[in-house]
This record gives sequence, C-alpha cells and structure tokens, in this order.
Amino acid sequence: MGEQNILKVNPLPTLTWNHLMLNFANLPLESGSQVKADIPSEFDGIETGMGEEFVSFVENHAAAVRVIRAGKGQDLGVIRDENAGTSSEVILIDAGEDSQVTFYSHASEKACPGTQMTRLVKVIARAGARVTVIQSQTLGDDVMAADDFGAVVGDEARVHLIQAELGGKAAFAGGCAALKGYKADFTEETIYFGDGSRRLDFSYVTRHTGKKTTTSILASGALFGSSDKVYRGSMDFIHGCSKSKGREAENVLLFSKEARNRSIPLILCDEEDVDGQHAASIGKINKDLMYYLQSRGLTESQARQLAVESRFNPVIDEIPDESVRQEIHASLERRMNLD
Amino acid sequence: MSEELLRVENLHADVEEKEILKGINLVVNKGETHVLMGPNGAGKSTLDNCIMGNPEYKVTEGKILFGGEDITRLKADARARKGIFMSFQAPQEVPGVTMEDFLRVCKKNLTGENIRYFAFHKELAATMKALDMDDSYASRYLNVGFSGGEKKKAEIVQMLTLNPTFAMLDETDSGLDVDAVRVVSEGIRRFKTDENSLLIITHNTKILEDLKVDFVHVLYDGKIIKTGGPELVDYINENGFAELIREGE
Amino acid sequence: MNSSIYDFRYETHASFETDAGLTPEIVEQISKEKNDPDWMREFRLKSLEIYQKTAVPNWGPPLDGLNMDQIITYVRPDTPMRGKWSEVPDDIKNTFERLGIPDAEQKSLAGVGAQYDSEVVYHNVKDEVARQGVVYTDMESALRGPYADLVKEKFMHLVPPTDHKFAALHGAVWSGGSFVYVPAGVHVDIPLQSYFRLNAAGAGQFEHTLIIVEPGAYLHFIEGCSAPKYNVANLHAGCVELYVGKGARLRYSTIENWSKNMYNLNTKRALVEDDGIMEWVSGSFGSHISYLYPMTILKGNNSHMDFTGITFAGKTQALDTGAKVVHNGRNTSSHISTKSISKDGGICVYRSEVIIGKDAIGAKSSVNCDSLMLDSKSRSDTIPAMDVRNADSDVGHEAKIGRISDEAIFYLMSRGLSEEDARAMIVSGFAEPVAKELPLEYAVEMNNLIKLEMDGSTF
Repeated sequence: MGEQNILKVNPLPTLTWNHLMLNFANLPLESGSQVKADIPSEFDGIETGMGEEFVSFVENHAAAVRVIRAGKGQDLGVIRDENAGTSSEVILIDAGEDSQVTFYSHASEKACPGTQMTRLVKVIARAGARVTVIQSQTLGDDVMAADDFGAVVGDEARVHLIQAELGGKAAFAGGCAALKGYKADFTEETIYFGDGSRRLDFSYVTRHTGKKTTTSILASGALFGSSDKVYRGSMDFIHGCSKSKGREAENVLLFSKEARNRSIPLILCDEEDVDGQHAASIGKINKDLMYYLQSRGLTESQARQLAVESRFNPVIDEIPDESVRQEIHASLERRMNLD
Repeated sequence: MSEELLRVENLHADVEEKEILKGINLVVNKGETHVLMGPNGAGKSTLDNCIMGNPEYKVTEGKILFGGEDITRLKADARARKGIFMSFQAPQEVPGVTMEDFLRVCKKNLTGENIRYFAFHKELAATMKALDMDDSYASRYLNVGFSGGEKKKAEIVQMLTLNPTFAMLDETDSGLDVDAVRVVSEGIRRFKTDENSLLIITHNTKILEDLKVDFVHVLYDGKIIKTGGPELVDYINENGFAELIREGE
Repeated sequence: MNSSIYDFRYETHASFETDAGLTPEIVEQISKEKNDPDWMREFRLKSLEIYQKTAVPNWGPPLDGLNMDQIITYVRPDTPMRGKWSEVPDDIKNTFERLGIPDAEQKSLAGVGAQYDSEVVYHNVKDEVARQGVVYTDMESALRGPYADLVKEKFMHLVPPTDHKFAALHGAVWSGGSFVYVPAGVHVDIPLQSYFRLNAAGAGQFEHTLIIVEPGAYLHFIEGCSAPKYNVANLHAGCVELYVGKGARLRYSTIENWSKNMYNLNTKRALVEDDGIMEWVSGSFGSHISYLYPMTILKGNNSHMDFTGITFAGKTQALDTGAKVVHNGRNTSSHISTKSISKDGGICVYRSEVIIGKDAIGAKSSVNCDSLMLDSKSRSDTIPAMDVRNADSDVGHEAKIGRISDEAIFYLMSRGLSEEDARAMIVSGFAEPVAKELPLEYAVEMNNLIKLEMDGSTF
C-alpha cells in the first residue's frame, strides 16, 4: 500500500464564501510506485476540470499511458478502452484536422480489482475534428473513483464528453474545454447516481476565447441514501469571444432526507456580445408524475426507477456498446431496488 | 401631376455578405398604395429594411431618395423623423417599458411637441378600440407576451399613433384570423389619405380588399420582374408566380 | 440633471477626531465619549480583538486600496443632538437640503434620523407614529432608553462580530444609526426613512440599524445613501439587524449611491418567525467596491422572503452584491430576483447562497438573475450557490447574461429614437421590476441615476 495523499481538486474558477466548502474538494488518493509517464509535450498545459494537482499526480503515477493519433481526415471509428478499471490511466488523443474519434471507457465493479481508479483523458481537437469521449463507471462501494478530462478545441471542431458516475465509495469527475477556435463547440453530459454514503464531486469549466464558440453542459442526477453531491459548472466568456453562446442546466432529484445536494453554476463574462444562460432545478420528484405512473399499476419504487431512468436514458443510449448499456441498467436497477 | 415621395434607384444590398437585392428601381408618389408580392426569399423584407435603414442590411450600390433627399446613409431614427414607418414581421419585445409610455416618448420625439398625458391616453385608447384591441395592452410592456396577432395589431396602433407619411407593412396579415384581418384592413384604410403612401408586402389578398391599390410589383431574385395595376393581384391569386418568373427569365 | 447634485461637500467643523489607526485605547476613547454602558464598552473591546485576529476575505473584489491605519474612523460634527430642525447649524442644514430631507419631511414622511458624519444630529418622529407606540430613535438613545434591555439582547445577535472582519470592526467602533420598535399589531402606514451620509475625508461610517417588528405588525423602512466625493479611500461598514415577528411583515428598501471612492462593506440580516414576511428592495449604484448580501433566516414555519435587487457598475466600480437565505422552518419560501448592468469597465458580481436546512420540509426557493453587458470593457460574473439538505423541497435557479440586441435597438430607432435613447430606454425597462417596488419618489430618483449613468440620453 502506498502513501495517502490529499489532493485539492475540482477548483472553482473564482472563489466564494469559504464556509460553503465549494471552492475546491479534497480527494484522498494512495500513491503506488512513482512512474513518471512519458507525456508528449503537445499535451502539456491542457487545463482539466479536476485541476493541476490531480493531473500531476496521475501523470506521475500512471500505470498505463495511451496515445491515440488520428491523421488528417482519418476516421478512427469507435475505440474501446481495454484497460478500463485499472488503477491509473492516461489517455491522450490528438485528433488531426477533419478527423473523427470516439473513445469509450467503462469501469465496472468486476473490472476494478483495487480500491481506487483514476482516468485522465486529454484531447487536442484540431480544425474540423469530431471527438467523443465517454467515461462511465458502475464501481463497487469501496472504490475511490476519479475521472478527469481536458480538451483544446480548434476551428469548427466539436468535442463531446459524456461522464456517467454511477458507483464507487466516492466519485470525483471534472471536465474542461478551451474553446480556442472559431465556432469551436463543446457538449458535455453528466449523469450521476448517489446511494449509500457516496460522495460525488464535479467540476466543469468552459473557457471561451474563440469567436462564435458554443457550449452545452447538462447534468442530471438522482440522490438516495445519505449521498452528498457537489456540482460546479462554469462558463467563462473571455474578452474577444464575441457571438459565443453557452447553455448549462442541472436537474437533480432528491429521494432521501439524508441526502445533500450542493450546486454552484457560474457564468464569468468580460465580453459583451455573448449569450449565456444557466438553470438548475433541485428537488423532489413531481408528485403528479408519480401518481400518474402508479395509476398505471407501477409500484412506488418502479415509478421512481422509471423517473430516474427516463432522465438517464438519453445519455446512456449514446454509449456505443450494448453490453455496457445493459450493465448500467442492471446496476441502476439493483441499486434502486436495494434502497 | 403627382408628387414623388420615395425613389429607389438601382438598389443592391447584402445580408451577411450575400447579395439579396440586385438592382431595384421603384418610385412611390404621394397618396399611392403599392403592393409588393413575390415568392419567399425574393428580397421583399430586405427592401423594406433597406428603406428603413437596418444596419444589418448593407446597401452596396444605388440609392434611396425620400422627398428628393438622399437618405441612403441616414440612421433609422433620422428616417423615422422624416416620416418613414415600418411595421415589423416579428416586432421586438421590450420588457419594462409600457406600450403607452413608449409611444408617448416616440410621438414627442417625432413631433417635437410636448404630449399631453390625458389627451394622448384617450387618443390611444380610441385607436386601440378601433382595432378591436383591449386597451389594457397599453399598460403592458411593449410586445411582451403579446400573441402573434396582438403584435401585428400593436404595430398598426403604432402606425396610426405616429402617423407617418410613408408606411411599409411587412406581412401584417400573417398570423391573423379572418376577423382580425378585416379589422386591421379597416385600420389601414382609416390611416390612408391623399397625403401619405403605403408599401404593402403580403401573401394574402384579403387585406387589400378594402384598399385602393395603385401598383403591384412582383419581386423575384432581388429584382422587380413585373409591375402592373391591381389586376395583377388577381392574376397571381389564380396562377401563382411561376408564369411570371418564366416570362422574366 | 448633472452629477454635481450628487457631488458636493462642505468644510467640517469636527470637535473631536481620533488617531488614524485603531487601538484598544481608541476604542476605549470612543466608548467613553459615547457614554456607553459597561457591557457595550466590553463588547467593543472584544470585537476589536476579533477584528485583529480575522483575515480579510480571500474572495470578492480587491480590498488592497483599503488601509485601516489610514482611516480616521470616527469624526463627530460640531453639534450636539438637536430636537428641532431650526436649531441645526446652517452648513449641515444646507447639506441636508441638497439631499432633499426637509422636502421629504414636508411630504409627510414618517420620521427622519439623518446622520452627519458619525453622529446623529437630527432626529424626529412624527407624532402620529409615536402615538401608535412606535419607537424610532437613534441607537445611542436606545441604549439608555426604556428599551435598553431589548437592545442589549438583540444587538449584534444576528450579525455577531465573529461573522467576518468588518462585522468585528463594526462591533468595535459602531456609531449612530436607527432603532425602530413596532409593537404587536401596529400597521405603520407611512414609510420611515433614514438618510446616511459621510462627510469628512477618510472618515468611516459604522451606523447600526436595529428594527424589531412585533407579531402582526407592518413596517416599511427606507434607507437612502449618498456621499460626496473625496480622494482618500472611504469605508462604510454598517450593520442592519431586523427581527420580524410572527405574522409580521417588514419591507426594507435601499437606494445606495455612495461616492465612487467608497468601500461599502455592509452587513444586513433578518430573522423571520412563523408566517412572517421579509421583503428587500435593494438598488446599488455607488461606491468603488461593494460587498453586500442581505441575508434572511426563515426560522418560522410558513415564513417568506422576497429579494428584488439591481446593481449598476460603471467606471472604476466593482460591485459584488446578491443575497443569502437560510430556510429552517417548514413550508418556507423565498424568491430572489436580481438585475445587473455593467458599463465603462464596471464589474458586477452576483453572489448568493440558498440553504435549505434539514428540517425545512416543503421549502421552496427560486432565484432569477439577469445580467446586462453594455460594452466589452466591462465584466459580469454570476456566482450562485445552493445547498439543499432535505428531499422534500424545490429549488430553482435561472441566470442569463447578454447584451442589448441590435434588433431591439433597430426596432426602437425605426420609431424615431436615437441610438442612445433606445439603449437608455431598454436599460430602464430592464430596471423596471425594481423601480416598481419602490415608492414613487425613489423610483424617479433611481431612473434619474440610470439616465445619468447612460450619459447622453435625453428621453
């Protein structure tokens, strides 16, 4: 067993009242053997959602580093992460001009032997590239999970990130996109599930510097048991990013009086010609919907399950692997039935 | 001899760097009613916007004269003060500013006179009544939460209140039910005198029934391909634009 | 209208000035001069200790320009307490006249406790309000009057000196302010108003406002501020504590227009009992730096809070404003609606926290904030935090940021408005939801302030 480290992760891009405990999170990780990963220099300095301390920790303890390069105009199709669930991995994707890559990594309870799992994906999406990254996990209740992501998005490139945090003792996840190119686009979708005493902690940041850049950040979650979740979502419109547009929304369903939900959706802006909006809705499940479903013969627990899955399914359906989708549905069903 | 009010000479205009108008020539004399018809995308609204001075529409060649004066480079407010009015297809919503306060400020601005509060209030209420519009709309925020039909009526209320010498109506009838079209048409008829002129864009000839139309222009691909009298409206109603377009080419 | 109306001053005739720095000796001296009761002297010294141990906030706009060692914290004007307007010295009277206080009097407003520098010099309560049993007095008198015990019990109870550094400073050097007591069931028909004003260069202002509205009573309190311009950094660290009893309702309105060199670090807090209603209307236009987040604790079941605010930051201004609400009672509700406008390099920050406590079953909260950017030199940040600790609640949040659309400007210009007037009209329309919550004369003043900021507008 390695040494215990407390990393400051998921930093809020600007500070607010300390007593809210939202300015950053403490992530306890054990460090195994020191292995300095060989990271190609073009991936240096890419900002991620979980922040510098996490990136430098992972890059110094990476068990696996994989570099994926797509040449100009190349379509690499769907790439599956064969090592998903190993203790520490770094994936670096350099998507050349007009290339296409989809990378997905699913860590299931069976696949993860240890008590912690970290995944870091960095993406360079060059002009016109299309990159989709999916990180999902249905880990067991003794695993500390951390999924981090950072991308630089070029002219008319599109990057799509999906994170599904559905298990673990605690799950930390983050994503950041630097929208540098003209009409660069970033779409991010998160689903999360809290049960037992799971801690969930998220941080997403979009940095708009290019003109006419667009982002959409959506999060949907359900909290049971005494789970405790923090969600930070920040859109940063930087001077010069004229005609950029950002949309951010979070929907949280609370099912337990012991659960706790904290959300802080930020808009930072020093450019006049932008259009930014965020919305959050936090609360109990709609009573009319519950009544309607029960009037059709569903039990309360079936109705709740349906309500949660109806929110998660559009995201789960984007995972390009039927067996993973089934495993996720089975995991959710089992967890909601236990509750 | 009729007096010339508006003259458009060889007008070319771009929207987002794409040429929409490709040499329009048009003369509207005082007291006349002109109708502009043509398929979607022909440039009808672009012509209206160019005459009103929308900065999103760039005039690249030609000029617009109003009352003999070159107004091609004037800003929209200066054109409004000269008596030009445009009824918008999709009028903007302005939260926090009531329709009545807005019109009072505009009227004061256009006439340079102090507007007496109660007289104005009464006059506006009467105008709205004539258009079958509940006068509570006067104290609502300008166009905010108005239905499509109410917005169209509110534009005609603005026209009647500000009393321009040259009014352009851009598909004022679309989105209105049959009764509303009749009411709006009646409002337009009431507005029309020998001293002012109209340029009407429409697909629907119902709105023209009570009006004396002097000229009908058919616009296609940024050019006027045919000009005629009111009989052209009936022709288009029966035959559409296809034949005219073939002739034009 | 021109800016000189808000930009005037007279020479001060101070009879007493403390050393520029802050030491226990100075605090003792202040206490002695004010003839404090013993407990208050001790409270001040304790607060000073906390102040010296507490760091300045690590978040929010920079406070580097603020050097407490340079600030003369306490300046007493050369007049003792006055009961009648006719006895107030002429130069002070002139200052007030230009602020419109006597006019306000003539308009049959309920009472005026106007503050000149750090001392209450003029104080008057209309007979009709006093006859209803309402007490409206300055804080110093309240400390020794028939409500002394009540004051001792409530003073800095909602905002303890440990809250933050400037609350501690306030506890140590507070001076002046208002005390209002509205007995149970009394409905005060006319708003009570108070004008605060800073004068002497480098002077801080630490007024304390304590309002107690007993069960079933109603009060509207209006706080208006304007201050003349000086080159030395000025600090305002006032404190407002509001107690809203069962079924009572309190509306607290502020139009703040401090001079553009002021550090406005004000703390306002309300505690609401069962079925009580707290309403805040807050307009922030002035100051160089502001930290202002009126907080409401919905302690009682079915209690309610409404916050309507507008912030307009122009050149050299960084206005960090918002609201806080803590839901503790059952079926409590809150609604926060704010607007901000940034112009000429001004910085607006909307900052808030909504906390739904464990026992706040059935709580509902909604937040709406709209930010308007008038140019690309300016900045606008939205930093709303929500902390929900029970499942049987509904919390909603919406925020928008944007500019005035070219289409909207063209539409108004096509009706004959100049571009400047079109922009000014859209901005005052944007502010209208706040203006309509204010009494007419304040709404007019606010609109004038907006037009003044939107230079060039004539409509």
